[in-house]
Amino acid sequence: MYGETGALMRSELATLLHIHRTQRRLGSESLNATALEERGVQIRQYRQSILTWSAEAVRAAKPLVFSVSTPVPANPFRATTDLGPVHEFARALDHTRQHSTAPLPSLDQLTTSSGNELVEHWRHAARAAALAEHDTNGAQLASRLTAAQANALVSDVAAITQALIVLDQRYTNTPGWERLAQPQRLGWAALATAIDVALERPDYTVDQTGWRPRATAIRGPAKPGILGVLQAEHNLLVRLQTTPNALSLRLVVDSQRQLSHGLAELAGPVDEVLAQGWRERTATYVRLQSQLRNLGSRLGGGGTAVAEASNAVARLRALPRETVVEPRVLGAFQTLFSRIDTRLADVVTNGIADQTLLHHVTTATLDGEAQGLVHRLREHFEPIPQPVCREIHTTIRGHLRPRQPDAAPPDAGHSRAQLHTALLPRPTQGGRDVRSL
Amino acid sequence: MLLPHAITLAQARSYLAALADQAPTLEASAAYERTLIDLDRLHGDESPALTTDGLTHDREILYATASSAIEALTAHGVDALGVELILAMLEDAHGLDVP
Repeated sequence: MYGETGALMRSELATLLHIHRTQRRLGSESLNATALEERGVQIRQYRQSILTWSAEAVRAAKPLVFSVSTPVPANPFRATTDLGPVHEFARALDHTRQHSTAPLPSLDQLTTSSGNELVEHWRHAARAAALAEHDTNGAQLASRLTAAQANALVSDVAAITQALIVLDQRYTNTPGWERLAQPQRLGWAALATAIDVALERPDYTVDQTGWRPRATAIRGPAKPGILGVLQAEHNLLVRLQTTPNALSLRLVVDSQRQLSHGLAELAGPVDEVLAQGWRERTATYVRLQSQLRNLGSRLGGGGTAVAEASNAVARLRALPRETVVEPRVLGAFQTLFSRIDTRLADVVTNGIADQTLLHHVTTATLDGEAQGLVHRLREHFEPIPQPVCREIHTTIRGHLRPRQPDAAPPDAGHSRAQLHTALLPRPTQGGRDVRSL
Repeated sequence: MLLPHAITLAQARSYLAALADQAPTLEASAAYERTLIDLDRLHGDESPALTTDGLTHDREILYATASSAIEALTAHGVDALGVELILAMLEDAHGLDVP
């Protein structure tokens, strides 16, 4: 997830910006010149990893960054000649990366501790950059991000680039060091981009995008108490990756109705707002359940999902009525409920769209006019009538899909503020930084 | 499925759905709903559509007609043990329904 890798990169660079006596930290008093040079080269390799990620991330995000400071031509069919500062920033980053002679660090270098505190900060930042390639690079990035999220990402890269330029200046005397190519051009481009994207409100929900480990079922015996219910509900979400058939879908919907009702009673004394939300969820599932009664299907499975759903209901029923549920556990249930609601909404919507969910025929449409004594059903299913579709879509759009968009993590601004603070000029006394380490 | 079987099944489904809709408590409603799902499972989800329009609001009458419709399914070749289990579920649901 970009939130983790981006925060690690920023916090490590902020720490490096606070370290001023770099030669001493690198071991200039104890190491010979060759060993010191090796450390310098190693740091350049780590810097190259961060530069590579920065260039790739800006290149992937720039189609979504629309400059508000660039005048647009009155004729919408004429392409604008001024593409905005982010395009110049992308070019400057590419130029700097291509003119750096340091190779990218190997996997061993990224994962093996060097034993030196300063080099370790660089290694952690480079490792985060390598992992962030999973989250922010690739041709599909523009389809996954919103324009506001792309602004936040480019703003992060601009701050990280500014940090690299400051550190480049500070490490000039390090043996084996090589200055960044055209640092002034890169610095101004980063500053112009940072100012340009700051004119729009950045969307830190970008932290929740990117690679996540695939969720797997929690195996083993049932956890005790309410945790057993949580375990079964989590497993239900995992098992719902397989599309259920109509009967399994109705059983899962029934389980969610009972779980919402039962958990709302337990949550009431701890969090009344959440309990009220779950009561509304119960009403939604009651409505959906009655709307699904006449739907059937030939395709799909969902047997394991039904088993987990019944596990959750059985374990909830076995709980004593006086059970007190912690707010953290209630929050976990809320997260699972939101994801299950979204998944079930997708299952029903897709089923209606591709006609894997069908409507049972009414007895009035049976083959009553056939000749002979034996009258058989001509068809079991028919396409879902429009009024029924409309009712189901109203329930899904109005009640089942989570109404609140994803919120940014509460600590999203912390590491960003930390890096920007470290980039600010410091008060000096007699030419020396009074806060240097 | 022959036409009389389909008509009996549609009646049983409709009465169960009406009982689920009119149940005074969520537990009773859920119990009727599970009975309906089990009835559909017994028929491999090849049931005719139900409708609750025009049905009585007297739950005792609905319960009696639902029981008799489900019992009548055995005359159409439906597994007798399956029918008995569904009748037992219906009786349990009715037990939750009665205050």
